[in-house]
Amino acid sequence: MLLRWITSLYLVYLVVPIALLFTGSFGDLWLNTILPTGFTTHWYRDVAADPSFRRAFASSLAVAFITCTACAAIGLPLAYAVFRAESRRVRAISRVLYQLPVALPALVLAFGFVLVFSSDTLPWLGSIWLLAAGHIVLTLPYFLQAVVADMQRLGLRTLEDAAESLGSSGVQRFFHVVLPALRHSILAGLIIVAALSLGEFQFSNLVAGFLNRTYPVVLLQAFYGATGFACAATVFLLALALLAAIAGGLAAGGATRMRAAAA
Amino acid sequence: MSARSASAVSLQGVTYRYPGTKSGVFDIALDILPGELVVCVGPSGCGKTTLLRLIAGFLKPDAGAIRLNGEDVSQLPTRARECGVVFQAYALFPHMRVWENVAYPLRVRKVPLAERRRRAQEMLELVGLSGLHNRFPAQLSGGQQQRVALARALVFQPRALLLDEPLSALDAATRVAMRDEVRRIQRAQNIASLLITHDQDEALSLADRIVVMKEGRLVQRGSPHEIYDRPVDSFVANFVGRANLLEGRVIDDETVETPIGRLATPPHGHERGSLIRLLVRPERIQLAAPATGENVFTAQVLRDRFYGATRQIEVVAGNGRLEVETAARDPVAGVHVPRDAIQFLHNT
Repeated sequence: MLLRWITSLYLVYLVVPIALLFTGSFGDLWLNTILPTGFTTHWYRDVAADPSFRRAFASSLAVAFITCTACAAIGLPLAYAVFRAESRRVRAISRVLYQLPVALPALVLAFGFVLVFSSDTLPWLGSIWLLAAGHIVLTLPYFLQAVVADMQRLGLRTLEDAAESLGSSGVQRFFHVVLPALRHSILAGLIIVAALSLGEFQFSNLVAGFLNRTYPVVLLQAFYGATGFACAATVFLLALALLAAIAGGLAAGGATRMRAAAA
Repeated sequence: MSARSASAVSLQGVTYRYPGTKSGVFDIALDILPGELVVCVGPSGCGKTTLLRLIAGFLKPDAGAIRLNGEDVSQLPTRARECGVVFQAYALFPHMRVWENVAYPLRVRKVPLAERRRRAQEMLELVGLSGLHNRFPAQLSGGQQQRVALARALVFQPRALLLDEPLSALDAATRVAMRDEVRRIQRAQNIASLLITHDQDEALSLADRIVVMKEGRLVQRGSPHEIYDRPVDSFVANFVGRANLLEGRVIDDETVETPIGRLATPPHGHERGSLIRLLVRPERIQLAAPATGENVFTAQVLRDRFYGATRQIEVVAGNGRLEVETAARDPVAGVHVPRDAIQFLHNT
């Protein structure tokens, strides 16, 4: 009974702000009242038509895409190297090292980037690539965590030993066994990376140039304007994040089901 | 030399030490004939899995030679050795169907698809899983998964079959049934096989030949009967089967003074007054009324366990203890140690 109460309270706490956002986005006027008055969809049309929001949306997608690609390209070999490391100590140390960015405030990273990349020798501050570079540092730990954990759960080492004994070469093992066996966790990891990148504000706000601002950065500006407009703009971001979360949940669920049945 | 070239698997002086440790395997000599099933048995950490990994090529020996069908493969990579390996955890590919798992060795050997399917199907029939070829491993029971692993390890006609504790992940009932299955399939393929286990029942019931391993060395090799009836030392006697080990002082050529009393033994040839160690298997000891003949001792029951078919009793006789295994239901007042049940162990 108590548990049910706590759960319900938590759900209310979780849902109310989001529900208010929705209500606000359809409200015509929302000044000193508890709830807005009137019904309209023009805030959505306004956001969709706003050139700076359109550009920010595209920038965000581009950064997220680059970040995901790079995370896969860097993260997979890295995860594999950490997993296959012979010595227990090397594994432990690398584990701490790759988890470090989680503890590092994005702000600290951003200051470092601003210092280094505003110089004349490296004048790249504000470019999409630099944004993505920061996002890679911030999101890679989550990708690695998902993939390394899956490697351990699967007993990937024994699977590879088996493949090798059956005559499979290194390249064949990678494409026949490693990649397909890990596909669920790779997908789930990438979706987490995409969701984090899409919603990242701290770092992006300092490092993004005027032309390449990401969606959350532009969103902050919206709150200085009409409430309905800001709400509608937020709902767009929310929808994107929700989509990523649902896809991630499905992928992870699929992986767990296979694992559970296998065990 | 001719015997060696006839063996399918031959190890000579094989030594491997794990870097930075003192453990490994040392100076292993072992031959497995075509069609023979050799079981390597030993406590955990004795190096038996290391031995298997050396033959499979996952480890390279520091010294010695490993030959498969006469060819020295010591420095060849695993995939060139053509050994079928069955792992304790099955190691089936979770994303492939049963038949794809079995056909995988053929796929990497570029066998055409139609033939892959046909040969996988044949192997699945041999292991008794022909109806389940389209399932995923996760949809099979442990015993079924191990059959798939066996089929996969045999489908490419390997030079040897290596089984690393293949039955230890199964529940007790399935394990005994799978024992017979492994034996039947191994016989049907007539392939030289090495099975690693720490289960002495498994070793005794499956093997053509047993090798007992301890601390990285082979301490005894022989048929199951030889290992059980004539263990070389107390370690083997204790590890394979249960054993009563008695320290004794020689009185004369056919009498030894032991903690349980003075024992009449077969002639042993040890000097009067020397210390020797005797072995008596629990099932060879009989229940008897006290003081009714040679080697009969008064016994007090310490522990009496009933297992249905047998009964395991621990008794105190004299100043010693004996384990007795018997089918008799009678109350215990004394035990009889038949003279011909007494063996002498070499070392102390």
